Amino acid sequence: MRNKSIAFAFLALNASAMPAAAHASLDHSDPRVGNTVKSSPSAVTLWFTQRLEPAFSSAQVTNASGAVVSTGASVSGTVMRLGVRSLPPGTYRVHWKVLSVDTHTTEGNFTFRVGQ
Amino acid sequence: MFTRLARAVLCGPALALIPLGAGAHEIVGNRFFPATLVADDPGVNDELSLPTASLFKTSDIPSVNELDIAVEFSKRITDDFALIVQPTWTHLYVPGGPLGNGASGFQNLETTAKYRVYKNAEHEFVLSVGLVAEWANTGAKSLSVDTFTTYTPTLFFGKGLGDLPDAVWWARPLAVTGVFGYAIPSRSRTIIATADPDSGDVTVDNSPNPRFFNWGGSIQYSMPYLKTAVNDLGLPDFFNHLIPLVEASLQTPVSNFAGLDNVKTTGTINPGVLWVGDYFQVGVEAIIPVSRQSGTSVGMIAQLHLYLDDLFPTTIGKPIFGGPVTPAKPF
Repeated sequence: MRNKSIAFAFLALNASAMPAAAHASLDHSDPRVGNTVKSSPSAVTLWFTQRLEPAFSSAQVTNASGAVVSTGASVSGTVMRLGVRSLPPGTYRVHWKVLSVDTHTTEGNFTFRVGQ
Repeated sequence: MFTRLARAVLCGPALALIPLGAGAHEIVGNRFFPATLVADDPGVNDELSLPTASLFKTSDIPSVNELDIAVEFSKRITDDFALIVQPTWTHLYVPGGPLGNGASGFQNLETTAKYRVYKNAEHEFVLSVGLVAEWANTGAKSLSVDTFTTYTPTLFFGKGLGDLPDAVWWARPLAVTGVFGYAIPSRSRTIIATADPDSGDVTVDNSPNPRFFNWGGSIQYSMPYLKTAVNDLGLPDFFNHLIPLVEASLQTPVSNFAGLDNVKTTGTINPGVLWVGDYFQVGVEAIIPVSRQSGTSVGMIAQLHLYLDDLFPTTIGKPIFGGPVTPAKPF
């Protein structure tokens, strides 16, 4: 019984109610990381594991030649939304760099494809 | 850690201590390097392993069971420099023997000073240097702990393979870590005089204290990396937190071992898996000796590892000294 209590206590460390805030890592995105969508999305949405500081969190989408095709980012809680222009078929890379509310900075990138 | 196992193998006491990694998780760009259990990793962070437990059979003839329970506390002094303290309690006992048989106590205290020299987010590369010290006579005499201090200047690195080309996208979640150290005893020889209680005869054991090249590392496949940086396959969330890995920890005698038997490379290979969360990770690995001199059967090692920098980011989870946190630069 005591062992169960200890196990639950540690599992609770990962609960969302935890007062601390860990590094903000990317949890998932839409379009999904590495996946292909049939047509141009109207936006790219990123879900993070922690709340973000909007003033110090941003992202952009670039095409295969490196040109920026996103039109701006908005942040609300753990979600970042990037507007994008109409994307022709091709491979696009999302670069993100965020500051979580506990001041940890993290960054990353991934690709998705349109119509290929 | 490394030196303990190797020295035990060469000198022949019952104690044959498995190395326990003094490591910390590290984030380099897309890459998350977890704390590893056996081979030291390059991370510099505020962390607590509570505990790391291992059970295996020593290389002695006949072999005895050895249970090690270690605690590791890593504290950043600056953002790039950390001090690590690792006490380890050991219980040696004969399998199937009477209850309470064997010997117990703390091993010599081990400390590590580690400095992160270089970090490259684009190529997921990190390099650290450190000095590992195992302090003489800080452990239990019943375990025949060393009466000399061993200093091990050490190089650590980590490299993620996220910069591989698209044709081998499936290999991008791979990462390797490595550790290379040169263990230098503070005394070149250990002289122990023992008197026979019956005859009164005195025997003198004069043994060299060898120098070792300690080497090892890990190969990891990060499912979190696969999901968030390569290809989100829509797997159940539990699998997206797993990092299967194989660690290796080996010790090669380099010098000052004349007259000793079993002068060979010894160590263990450790396949296992980690589950990493936002605030802690758990890991379990097998301990597979690479030779008869390294152990006599497969053992197990398990660890609960807490990320203090995430649990307590404004108190014990931040560096003691250092400037304000650099905010992310908007694009």
